[in-house]
Amino acid sequence: MAAGANASLVKDGIQTLWVPREEVHEKLRGLKSEYRMLYDLTAIDERDRVHREGEPESDFTAVYHLYSFDRNEYIRIKTPLAESALSLDSITDIWPAADWYEREVWDMFGIQFSGHPHLQRILMPRTWVGHPLRKDHPARATEMGPFQLSEEKEEREQEALRFRPEEWGFERSHDDSDFIFLNLGPQHPGTHGVLRIVLQLDGEAIVHAVPEIGFHHRGAEKMGERQSWHTYIPYTDRVDYLGGVMNNLAYLTALEKLAGVPIPPRAQTIRVMLAELFRIISHLVWYGTFAQDLGQMSPVFYTFNDRERAFGIIEAVCGARMHPNWFRLGGVAQDLPRGWDKLFLDFIDYFPPKLAEYDREVLRNKIFQKRTKGVGVLTTEQAIEWGLTGPNLRACGLEWDFRKKQPYSGYENFEFDIPTGTHGDCYDRAVVRVEEMRQSLRIIEQCVRNMPEGPYKSLHPLATPPLKEHTMEDIETLITHFLGVSWGPVIPPGEALGAIEATKGNNGYYLVSDGSTVSYRTRIRTPSFAHMQALPLQVRGRMIPDLLAVLGAMDFVLADIDR
Amino acid sequence: MASFIQNQFERNVVTTSVDYVFNWARKSALWPLTFGLACCAIEMIASSTSRFDIARFGAEVFRPSPRQSDLMIVAGTVTLKMGPVLKRIWDQMPDPKWCISMGACSSVGGPFNTYGVLQGVDKIVPVDVYVTGCPPRPENLFYALLKLQDKIDQMTTLVKRPTEVRLDESMLENFKQQVRIAQINNPA
Ligand code: SF4
Repeated sequence: MAAGANASLVKDGIQTLWVPREEVHEKLRGLKSEYRMLYDLTAIDERDRVHREGEPESDFTAVYHLYSFDRNEYIRIKTPLAESALSLDSITDIWPAADWYEREVWDMFGIQFSGHPHLQRILMPRTWVGHPLRKDHPARATEMGPFQLSEEKEEREQEALRFRPEEWGFERSHDDSDFIFLNLGPQHPGTHGVLRIVLQLDGEAIVHAVPEIGFHHRGAEKMGERQSWHTYIPYTDRVDYLGGVMNNLAYLTALEKLAGVPIPPRAQTIRVMLAELFRIISHLVWYGTFAQDLGQMSPVFYTFNDRERAFGIIEAVCGARMHPNWFRLGGVAQDLPRGWDKLFLDFIDYFPPKLAEYDREVLRNKIFQKRTKGVGVLTTEQAIEWGLTGPNLRACGLEWDFRKKQPYSGYENFEFDIPTGTHGDCYDRAVVRVEEMRQSLRIIEQCVRNMPEGPYKSLHPLATPPLKEHTMEDIETLITHFLGVSWGPVIPPGEALGAIEATKGNNGYYLVSDGSTVSYRTRIRTPSFAHMQALPLQVRGRMIPDLLAVLGAMDFVLADIDR
Repeated sequence: MASFIQNQFERNVVTTSVDYVFNWARKSALWPLTFGLACCAIEMIASSTSRFDIARFGAEVFRPSPRQSDLMIVAGTVTLKMGPVLKRIWDQMPDPKWCISMGACSSVGGPFNTYGVLQGVDKIVPVDVYVTGCPPRPENLFYALLKLQDKIDQMTTLVKRPTEVRLDESMLENFKQQVRIAQINNPA
């Protein structure tokens, strides 16, 4: 009994089916042959929502997003749930990748998944009471009373973090020898942030690896429900904090679908140009630290130096380094400064010889190759099954780039190639990223040489903040400006998914508006979450140094996993 | 320095010179803990690379183990899940040790006044220097480092600390008296 698409609220043209809770498992199983990737799984607490025209009654709604590579399209399955019966059949038997997503939905909303192998909190500490993304859970720390860390509390928290192999169904010994359980992180230089991995070791070989995340969970999704649409943009900067404005773009792609704001060509091109520069910046950090993970000391000093050069440009244009917070609903914050093109052209001249130098230094280094070739191999099938996107997917040989396949922000106007690998190992991932930097440079050059003239922000009434020059013409524009600045825009009710090819893979924002100045639900689908979940698969049976190579090659950011 | 000689001596040329040498050694070779929490950590890494070069300030020896370091740069958001872990790492560092809170998040929670984030790392560990910024530029971190060095310069190891100012008994009585008066409903 699949209800038809609900045209009134769905603003992104994605086919949306409402499936009752008893049938959703079967329905998804049936869809899997077509839609092979579980793109996202989340929920919405509907209890405070006003605008639900044409939707079935529900207190909570589970939302599944699937993606089909054959059809190049998404499909959205929604399941209404009543507060009295908050449970669903787990789909971990269909997609093993549903494991973490279902745990997250349990953690954040308190929805049970029957048949899930290990349903426990994933982002919040295990001692946490309540489910943060429910509407009745406090959002601000200041609503929660003063914080104190007494000694007993510290003990209790530490105890809750203790790893118990039995809980995970792990043996403590086999034949006549014991397994070692090694705790890597959350403070460990090789984990690139506050990530913890518990390893079950047989001698030196890894039998199982259990990543534990959530040490970086800052509640970015809940903040979407508190900040106005406009003042949420700085928060997006901090999701993939190496990607800078790339995050703004993902958020605004979704928001502009909801608002129906057209973007002037100049603004689109500025966006592409800055986003690609940030792709280079992010890849440079990855390049240097990855080489360092494998024992090379010097590359990180060189790549960070180049990163500083790129930051010089970012600073000249945006005024900030890592978190420029530069894109706006309807365009960008300001026009490009005078002399901007020289900065970019200088960088375009400067950078390729450097990349060639790093090829000699890193990619052609014998030790580097020995440590990465054949390590962490994934097949294309596995990659799709586990929801991998971006360079990690392309390293398996699938030429899939959302900039080409579902162009946004005018990417269809640019010429560039999609580098791919063949073996799906750490080495190919590195090669793909390095080549991507060259392609990004190509795109930037095309932007510089063909920068369209015209406004840098739309004149649409919802564009925020509205252009100042137009405010003093009549009372209408003045009121629009005043409201746009003081309250922020009111976005018409609806929902939309905006997904882009971010630095690490497909980053999507699924926004639900209830016709107010804040979002009703902000869901951030990040690539790193899916990638980290596929880690155990890649390291089973290998040594610990291989684990660090796999982690380095994955290119993740903790804020991108935990949000 | 063994505690039995600590702060035991009067101020004289020998003791102040010894203290001077201690402080000079301590401040000129701070060993920070490699401890990145969030975005700010990337700027911390940037400050150790060639453009900014934290080695100019003698603090480039980042140690992965808390046992070997005497400076904790809390660079990034401290979540409630991470808080107890951070506390334990701090406890594992040997004395004397210092703490720089780098960035808005670790100083006051920053942009993340949210359910899962600790509103200031000073709720669980003592902070010596706070750095503003989101993220602070590397130069900003260096300024904090210089401030910390100034602070270390003031330390006394051998010389007796200045006597603490204590409340005079009569002042205390006076205070109690005032409180009692304030509690009377209708002071005539
Ligand atoms: S202060 Fe800003 S840059 Fe630093 S960790 Fe917090 S959000 Fe990130």
